[in-house]
Formats: sequence, structure tokens, C-alpha cells
Amino acid sequence: MSDSPVIDGKNKQQRYESLVAALYQDVYRYAYWLCKSQALAEDLVQETFLRAWRSLDSLQNDKAAKAWLFTIPRRENARLYERYRPELVDIEGQSIAASGENEPDFRMDRQLLHNAINRLDSDYREPLLLQVIGGFSGKEIAGILDLNNNTVMTRLFRARSKLKQEFGLDSDDIDE
Amino acid sequence: MDEIEFRRRVYANPQSPEQELLDAASDNPDYQKILDQAQELDTDVSNAVTAISVPADLQDKLLKIPASAGISGEELIQRESANSSYFHYYAAAATFLLAIGVTFSIVFNSGPSVQDIALGDNVLDHLYIDFEEINAFSRGEGNNFEIVNAANVSQILANAGTQFLSNDFMRSMPVRVAKPCEIIPAFQSAHLILQGSRGAVSVFVINNSPVSVEYRFRDDRFNGVVIPMGKGNMILVGEETENLDPYKDLFADNVEWVI
Repeated sequence: MSDSPVIDGKNKQQRYESLVAALYQDVYRYAYWLCKSQALAEDLVQETFLRAWRSLDSLQNDKAAKAWLFTIPRRENARLYERYRPELVDIEGQSIAASGENEPDFRMDRQLLHNAINRLDSDYREPLLLQVIGGFSGKEIAGILDLNNNTVMTRLFRARSKLKQEFGLDSDDIDE
Repeated sequence: MDEIEFRRRVYANPQSPEQELLDAASDNPDYQKILDQAQELDTDVSNAVTAISVPADLQDKLLKIPASAGISGEELIQRESANSSYFHYYAAAATFLLAIGVTFSIVFNSGPSVQDIALGDNVLDHLYIDFEEINAFSRGEGNNFEIVNAANVSQILANAGTQFLSNDFMRSMPVRVAKPCEIIPAFQSAHLILQGSRGAVSVFVINNSPVSVEYRFRDDRFNGVVIPMGKGNMILVGEETENLDPYKDLFADNVEWVI
């Protein structure tokens, strides 16, 4: 994805369109992993970009804008979780994008990994998603999740260790 | 560097390992194998995570937001929402609450601006970031948080450009959580949490965007009040039935701006 979604000097509409084009797919994927529902993820993304539009004038820094955008679906999902948790249809496997690599074995491996990531505790899954989807540094993830950098790096290590173990390759573990 | 440390650092960020790790891997075949395996796994993880298909019409919906946002953000959510009837109810409720808030404010407070109302909305958003702590207070576990010492509270307040007028006041009002925050991006604020009668009582001080009139806001869990105070605002938020007036009187008389 682009590292510079917001182009200073363009008018607000153009800045907004640049922001959408650069980030909407990543924000949607992050939202999907948070709520595990396509419909809710779409709503979270719309809420996110609505707020982005409202706050665009105060978003001067590209990287800060991107990090701020990723906090919104997380916060909104938490808010929804607090208020109401709808019954979600189990859609595991239904949302994997079709590609040229759709041979059955490949799909099975990807599905197994998809399921394994889903089973990770959210403490481990969230920093992993922010790093892989958003491309954020440990420090940026720490800011988004309100953690310190060491905790983030430890959780990233543990997330990958657990995935590695699930696929039969042991890894040493450490305590936080 | 021992193997555990090497593995820990590689697994934390396999796609961008530090030069020190690359050097260690080039000197040790076992380390190189760990690095290769971690990068291979991470490629698979990345493929699995990003294989989520994005709705084809989502970008078009997002690009329509500026044209629709002038009506009401909540209306937009209702109109554009996917097949989530739950979210429709949520959006409708939010619109209803917003309408009540605006009406109430206009009738009783000579009309806060849209920007004023947005500040209340931002505060509520911020509370849901801290919802784990807020929920602990609502479960009656607020006293499990150690009282923050006066020096730390003073430092947090000073960073937001304010201070308590007296240490006696601070001692009379035990602060259980004190942290910096950014209710409005790039403007330092302070968030203090105290044990109220219904749960947490949050006190925010923010050193910009003073509102013109005091006004109250609420959602379906919290009620709050924004108090204009010269160079900035103080905002109090508690659970829905928490009486904030005693806190309002105490804090408004004991906080001063120092910037």
C-alpha cells in the first residue's frame, strides 16, 4: 500500500479520495478480522471514513492519519461489543478471495492458517494484524493499542510462535 | 546473542530484521534457518490475512460520504449500510439521541455549535478506548486501582496546561487513573478517573477549543457535561445515572490554566 495516502495542498475532496483509495481495503480487512462479519466490517469501514471526512482538516500528518484511521474500527467494534453482540453466521472460509492460486491444497493451507489466526487470543492477533495489514512499526502499534513497545514486540513474537506450533514446528516461548 | 533472543527478535518482525540479526544469521546456519522459516511463515500469514475479499462496491460507497455527510453521518450509515439490521437500529438510536441532545442543548443552553457537539462525541469515543478500566469501576472494582500519587497527577495535568489550585483538593479527591490523551488530535489533554457512586467518573481537561456555553451530552450508557473554562474546556463524564453536579462545582473551582 502507499506510504503517503494524504497529499498536502490538494483540496479536501481530493485528499479524502486519496485517503480512501490508499487505505480502504486495508481498513476493511482489519475491520473484518476484528468483527468476523462482512456486513459489520463494511459498516465499521463506513463509520471510519465518515469520521475521517469530518476530521480531515485536523489530519495534517500522513502517518498519524493512517494510524488514527485504524483506531476507529477497533474502537467502534469494542463499542458494539459492549452494547450488543449479534449472532454471527460462521463464515470461516467464505471470505477468502478467489485467486489464480486456488488449487485445493493451496486453499486448504490458507484456510488452516486463516483458522489458526482466528483462534489466536486477541492480545496476540491484534498487533499481528496491524503489522501485517497496516505495515505499522512496533512503536506505532504500541500507540494504537495503548501498550508499550516491548509488550507489542513480545506479543508479535508469541503470535507467530503459536502459529508455528500449530503447524508442527516448535518454538521457544517467553513470558511477557 | 543467544538463540532465544535471536528467535524472539526475528519473530517479532521477520520481514524487516535488524542488521544485527542478519549478521548473526550469516554467521550461523541454525540462525539462518530460523530466519528463513520465520519469513516463510510470515509470507503465508500475510497471504492468509490479506486474502479477505473486499466488497466490490465499497469504494464507491465511501466516495459518496462527503456528499452525504452534510445531512447527517448517522443517516448515511443507515442508507449505505450493508445487510446489518442491527447496525440500522444502532444508527437510528444514535440519530435519535443526537436529535435529543441537540434539542436539549438548544433549548436550555442557547445553542452549542456543531463543533461543540462534536467535542462531546469525541469524548464519548475516547471513553470506549478506556472501556476496560471504565468497566472495572462500574463493577465496583475501582478501589483496586491504587491512588495515583500527587506528583504524577500534577505532571499529567501540567502536560495538558493546567493544575489544581491546592494540594488539599487533590488529597480530597483520590484519582485512581491519570493518563495523557488526545481527544482532539495533536492537542494534549489529561484524563483522570475517580470512583463515583455509579462507576467511573472521568475528568478531562483539554487546552483548546473552548466551547461557548456549558452543555450536557449523553449516549445510552454515559452522561457528560462540557464546561467552558477560559483557555480550554473541562469535561466530566459518568455512567448514565451518575450525578455530575458535585464534581462540576468542585473541579471548576479548583482547576486553573497555566499556559
